[in-house]
Parts: sequence; structure tokens; C-alpha cells
Amino acid sequence: MARMHKSLYNVGALLKGLATTFGFMFVRRPTIEYPSVKKQHAPRFHGLHELRRYADAKERCIGCELCAVACPANAITVIGAENTPQDRRSPGERYAARYEIDELRCIFCGMCEEACPTDAIVLTPRFEMAGLRRGAFVYAKDRLLVPPTEGVGTAPDERPNGIPSDLGRVAEIKSTTDVQTGYDATNRGTILKKQRKGLAG
Amino acid sequence: MAEQPQSVSVNIDGAKISVPKGTLLVEAAKLVQKEIPVYCYHPKLGPAGLCRICLVEIEGMPKLQIACNTPVTDGMVVHTYNDKVNAGRRAVLEFFLLNHPLDCPICDKGGECDLQDFSMAYGQGASRLAEPKVSKPKAVDLGPTIVLDEERCIVCQRCVRFDDIITGERSLIVKDRGYRDIIATATDDPYRSNFSGNVTELCPVGALTSKTYRFKSRPWDLHRTTTTCTQCAVGCQMQVDERVGEVARTMSIPDDDAVSDGWLCDRGRYNIGFYRDERRLQTPLYRVDGQWTQVGWDDAFALWAKALREAVASGGEQSVGVLGGGRLLNEEAYLLQHLFRSLGVRNLDWRAGTQRQATPGSNAGSLQDLENAQAIVLVGESPAQLAPVMDLRIRKAVSRHRAKLIRVGAIDPLPVVACTTLESAAEVPKALPAGAERVALVWDGVDPKLAREVVAALSDFSGLKTFIASGQNNARGAEVMGMHPAFGPGFAEVDGGKDFSGMVAAARSHSLRALSIFGANPALHYPDGVAIREALRNVPFLAVADLFLTETAQAANLVLPACGGFEKTGTTVNVTAVALPVNAALEPPEGALTDLEMLGCLARALEVQLPSVTELENSVIKHLVATAPSFGLGDAKVCGTTQFGQASRTGGPKLIARTDIFSGGGTVAHDGRIESLRPLPEAAVSPACAQQLGLSTGDCCDLRSGDQTMHDLLVEVRPGLADDVVVVVAGLPDDPANALGFEPVAELINVRRARELAPVGVSP
Repeated sequence: MARMHKSLYNVGALLKGLATTFGFMFVRRPTIEYPSVKKQHAPRFHGLHELRRYADAKERCIGCELCAVACPANAITVIGAENTPQDRRSPGERYAARYEIDELRCIFCGMCEEACPTDAIVLTPRFEMAGLRRGAFVYAKDRLLVPPTEGVGTAPDERPNGIPSDLGRVAEIKSTTDVQTGYDATNRGTILKKQRKGLAG
Repeated sequence: MAEQPQSVSVNIDGAKISVPKGTLLVEAAKLVQKEIPVYCYHPKLGPAGLCRICLVEIEGMPKLQIACNTPVTDGMVVHTYNDKVNAGRRAVLEFFLLNHPLDCPICDKGGECDLQDFSMAYGQGASRLAEPKVSKPKAVDLGPTIVLDEERCIVCQRCVRFDDIITGERSLIVKDRGYRDIIATATDDPYRSNFSGNVTELCPVGALTSKTYRFKSRPWDLHRTTTTCTQCAVGCQMQVDERVGEVARTMSIPDDDAVSDGWLCDRGRYNIGFYRDERRLQTPLYRVDGQWTQVGWDDAFALWAKALREAVASGGEQSVGVLGGGRLLNEEAYLLQHLFRSLGVRNLDWRAGTQRQATPGSNAGSLQDLENAQAIVLVGESPAQLAPVMDLRIRKAVSRHRAKLIRVGAIDPLPVVACTTLESAAEVPKALPAGAERVALVWDGVDPKLAREVVAALSDFSGLKTFIASGQNNARGAEVMGMHPAFGPGFAEVDGGKDFSGMVAAARSHSLRALSIFGANPALHYPDGVAIREALRNVPFLAVADLFLTETAQAANLVLPACGGFEKTGTTVNVTAVALPVNAALEPPEGALTDLEMLGCLARALEVQLPSVTELENSVIKHLVATAPSFGLGDAKVCGTTQFGQASRTGGPKLIARTDIFSGGGTVAHDGRIESLRPLPEAAVSPACAQQLGLSTGDCCDLRSGDQTMHDLLVEVRPGLADDVVVVVAGLPDDPANALGFEPVAELINVRRARELAPVGVSP
């Protein structure tokens, strides 16, 4: 008798639980179908770095290594070199011959951004950096530097297409084939986009 | 109590000290650990009173005084740090920073800059200047080594005073006045000096920078190792700054008074790019049918051991020879002779070139003796190019200690300081200043007969100190360690073997079966180029351990990649018998072994028992300490019977090869960074000789002796040369001075006048 009473009591608990579950059927889902749907980030989200250019397409970075000094995770390596009249990379005398960030070490604190005297290094909202090899996370200038044709002279959030579209506005779009050609800060961005299109099509 | 007036007591920030009379306040403050900022003052250059940053308050004086040019007086009470002093320094700094550009992020000095440091300590945060700063040219090419940033210069004149007081060359000046003043050369020619790199270290800001280091690194990136320079026999103490496996720069040690006096020559400072040159050997090479084949180290040692065993078996121990040691460390030289003497080999020598002796023996002097000598006699080539920092001591002795400089048998250009050039050794005693007691004799080690004559002429002087300036850094160590045909370790007399010229003669007559060469390039430096080429061709087995495929290595059967001076640890002996530590600052490239490791492996392949590390270190120290050679300069026991430079002339000028600090086929030829510093092939003649032959500076000519010719030499008319000689630069890989053979009688042919030659870069 006592056992039966107990199980009846359990049925009550079960119903209560099912009611909770049933109740969520009328609540808007918090999950999204990543990667075909993406979420809006906080405006000052700290993601993948990029090296900017001036309006005349010269590199802003002067290879001064102050970002490397400021970096609390020792993730940045810069090796400077001298501009020549034949090969002028930046205004002034010095440019960064090598600029490497180990994104696995980076803690995305933004101290490099703070330290930079020329606003060359900035953190974009881009966060997708999956890879299969650790070495692939050492980003060099080929992936960090803005291509000379795109978005020169302005900060990423002031550019015509603003924060890369595939990060911001995609949330409403259901099909990845409709993704607008967004601003790609790195070559990697282009590759990713092509891959994604390939997946969808 | 008679000493009392000589010392004065002074109170600096409450600390009382007693210092010798005449001490400058800035030096007295150092004794009580009070820092007084300075720009123009430098302990080695003395006060100039230009920058005014060293202001201090002295009680009883109405205004702030400069500490660098104020000798302390008895009872002086000084305040080096209070509000009044700081206000004075702040005002001075404001003037310095008026037109100083905000280059700190890209400036090579940023991080170790006195202007940065003192601005942080005493300066004010912001500038009150409303107008734009004065702009000046930024990367001004001052010479082959130095770039000047005129905006950054604060005109402390340290560089100008270095060039005046220390080198005596006086090529740098301050041009223009007021805010327009800049550093320039007086003649507007490029700033060329063997000591130019020192001005970059003296510069308290980033105005003078080295071309080789420009924008390579920031000071905080560098890993610093203190070691001994292994480019010449002076053994200057230096700091090697390494970054990402490369030598970024080398720096002197300012308080190294005993050896370098705080300076470095440009060879030691700038010839560092070869460590990571792509031409560096990375694997042993074995020649099969005239083709180079890469072999592993195990095979290389097996081949080497087999060749040595076969040579001993077929031709006896006399058919095996070893050359090397002058570029090795003491430990390596000791092991080298130990290994080969264990096999019964007696043909050991370090002398690949013209130098016959490295240890002066009795009467050997120290560098302080040289500096304090009343007369200095240079016999043969002066140390100016062989051991440049030693030459700086000679200049100091002459210009500041009033010593008299005398040259006998001179072949190089006139020195910067005043000198007397003599024809023969017999004239030396008469040329000495009256009452001279301390006489220093510096010999280049080439002509023993001349050295003996000079020593004999000076035998009345009990205070005679002798020196031998060697081009090879550890020639003296090699001699003490027993890399000598007549001496074992510690100058113990042993059964004599052949010296290197004996080995060359044996090779030419096909009786030398195996020759091993360690860190030497006789194909370029042996005086008789014709003989050495034939000898190297004729040796059935030639093993060469070197960093590069040098002219000698190209003739070898087996080439072994070795390590350079910054990649090894051990000891070396300098020109005045000071044992100096060498510390590895750099990882050697993969595949290269140090000579010590090579010898260890070869000994194992030959089944020779080597001493343990402790035994090796002990015997090296024992022989370094307990050596009392009984010979003097030019002794036949050491020099042997071989004599170079005694041409039996029959008309026509005699050919003499002089050294240049940037000549050579190894480290200099394989360093792309210093390409512009290498000397041009030249033929120098005396003015009388030039007049007789109708030559003038800038002409181009060829030299011929017998059927050998040296092509396209620039004629240089040089006062101070003998009338019957032509001086060429030794050790240029493209124009080897030994090409004309031994004792050549040169003939100048095919002279092209300077005005007939098309200027470079202009089409005819």
C-alpha cells in the first residue's frame, strides 16, 4: 500500500516534469543551426586579429614590436626590416618583415590593440578558426594583413559592409547559398566561404 | 701623512668619501652609487661640457654646476637629486626634446636609449612647443657601415671626439651651427674606419646606427652571451646578441680595460653574418671520381680513419701531416696534437701562411706594457690590419703618452699617428728617444732574420718588451698546446717533424700520403700559390674541416662541416698570453660538428685513447700556466729554416702581400652583409716608383711574374713605401696574392690610365 502511494506520488512528479518540457514548446528556441545560421555578437567582441592599411594601401604596421611587448601571452612575434625606395611597405623607415600571432596562445585581451602606436593591429569579430594542426594557428602576414583592394583606411566596424556580413546578418537567413559576399579580412575567409558554399550546394 | 693633500673628502648626498685630488664629480658619485645622467661625458673620452644634463647642486655655489667637468674640492657638499637639480635637468631635457622626433617605436636605440631613460626620470610629460619640429634628413649614408639620422642627433659629439681622441683619424666633424648642426665627415667622403662601429655604441641616442643591425631587432628581444672575439689574436671581450638563431649584433664590454680597452674593430663587430650563410657546409662531403657526394658522419670518420691507417701502413708516419690550430680553441688544438702524436705522426704545424712564430718567448709584454712604452718599434707589417684593437693601444701610447713610433720593414700604409720609417735594423737604437727605458717591439712574425737583427740592436735595453701580432686568433695557443713540428705541449722538445712548407715539398714529391687541415686555408694564404696548389692536388687523401667550401676545401677528398667561434665553448690565448673564455652563443647548424667532437669521433674510429674531459682541461690549464719558453724572437728553433719574404731579386720591384682586416676567403668572403667593406685588389707603389713607371692613383694594371699574371689591380701611390716594392692585398679569393708564386719579381704590364677608363655606370 505504501509502495502504491509512493508510485502515485511519482506520477505527479512525472507529470510536472512533462509539463515543463511541454511548456518549452511554446518558447522561442535559443539554439541556432550553426553554421548555416549565425548569431549576432556584441559590438566589441574580440576575435581574430587583422593588420590594417592606410588609404594609399601602405601597411600601418611599422614593426615596432610594442604589441609583442604588451602581449601577456607572448603570442606575437615581430621581426622588423627597412623599407627601400623600390619596395616601400609602410610610411617611414621600418616595416614588419614578419608578423606572426599564435592564435592558440592568444587570450584575445586586446592589449596589442591598445599598445599599437599606429592602430595597425585590431581585433575583428571573426571567431571561426578551426583547424586540424597546431601549426595552422600561427597566423602570419599572409592571413592577417588586409588585402590591398579591400577596406583600406577604416576600422572594420566603419567599413561599408561593416562587421563581416557572414557573422552579423546571417541569423535571419536560412540557406547558406544566400550569404552575401561579405568582407573577408583574410584569405582564409575566402577559402572558408567557398568551402561553405560547396557544402550547401 | 704626506699623502694627505693628494686626497680630498667630499659629501655626496650625505655620503662622505675620500677621493684622489682632481677626480671629476661624476666619477666620485659613481663610487657612492649615485647616478648622475650624462650624454656628452664618457669615461674614455673625458668631459666636454656640452650637454648640461649632469647638473648638480653644490652648496656655496649660486647656480647648478655640471658634474662632468667639475673636479671635487675638499669639503664640497653636493646634492645630486633634489627639486632644484631636477628642475634644471627638466629644462635641459625640454631643449633636447624640442626637435627630437617621436621615433621611439621604430628607433633601434629604443629600450636602451639614454634620452628615453632620462626623459622618464627627469623630463616633463608634454612638450610646450606649438610650432612644428625642425625636420632633417633621416637615413643619411655616412659610410659603408654607419647610417646617421640627423633628426635624432643631440650633438653630444661623442662620435666626433672618439674619432679625434681614440682613433686619431679626425674624419668626423660637427657641421653648421645652432639647431641646424649635424654630424658629417670633414671632406664629405664616406666615413671609413676600422673602428667605425664603436660610434654606434657611444651614441647615447639612435642617431648613429649600424647598417647590419638596422631594424633587425629591439634590445629586449636579444639573448646576450659574453664571449671572446675569435677573429684575431687580441681576444677582445664582447657580447653576442642572438635572436631567433641569428647573431643580431655584437657589442663591446666598456670596462674591459685589460684586453680591448672597451673598443671593437669592425671585423669583430660586423663579420657575423657568415654563421647563417646559405653556403655554409651542412654535411660531410666526399669526392668520388671528381664529384662531391654527401656522406653521413659515421662514413666520413670511417673513410678518414681508413685513409690515415693506410697512409701509415704504406708510407710510414712521415707520410701523414696535420695543419691547423691557429683557428681552433686550446682544447681542440691539444686534442689534435694528442691524437696524431698517438699515431706516431710528427708532421704537425699551425702555420698556414707567412707567419713563422706566435709566442714571443722571453721578454713577452702585456698590453699595458705596450700602452706605457716610451718607444714602440714595429717590425714588418704593423698590427693595424692584423690585430686592429692592438693598433688602438699603439695610437694611445703615441698620441696620449707621447711614445715614439718607429717602423722597420714597413709594408702597409702610413699609420694615423706620427712615425719614423727606417730602412734597416741597425738604425733603430739611434732613432729611439733619449733616455727611453721602456721599449716595445711588435713583430708580425714573418721575417725571423729581421726580428733577430732588431732584437740584437736593442739588446742594451733591459726594459724591452716583445709582442707578436698574429692574424690567427689562437696561434699562440696552438703553439703552447704543441701544434708545432719541434715542440710538444708546453714547449717540450720532441722529435722534429716537417713544418708545413716541408709537408708541401713532400706532397709535391708524392711522399705525403694523407693531410688533414683544420680551420686553415693555405691555398689562399700560403706564400707560394703555385706550390700549394700542386701540393694539394698531389696528396692522395686530403681532409679539410671548415665552415665553407674554401679554396683549400675544393681540393680535398673529404670535407667536414665545422663550427665557428660563437658556436663553441672553450678557451683561447691572446697575443699577450692571457687565457680567455669562449662561450657558445649560437646553436650550430644541424650537421656541423665542433672540431672537438670531430676529433673525439675520429679517435674512436682509430681506436686511440683520448684523455677524459677533466684530464683535458687540467692539461690545457697546466700548459697554459706553466710555460717558460727559452727562445726569443726569430729563434731558429721555433721558426725553422723556412723563410718567406727574402726574395733574391734580379731587377723589377718585389711583390709584397699586406693584410686587410676584410680580406680572406672564409668568414669574410661568405658574409653578404659586409660585401662593401672588402678591399679592392690594389697594387701600391711608392711615389718615386710611380714617377719612374709613370703611374698615378686610379690607374689600372696587371702584374706578371714568369707565366703567372694577376689581373686588373688598381694602382695606389702610397707614401712611406720602399721604392722597390709593389704591395698587393693578401687573401682576396678572386685575386689571390700568392698566385704569382714564391718570391716573385713583379712586372707591371698592361697599364690603363685612370682617364682612359670609362667611369663606372656611364656608358662610353
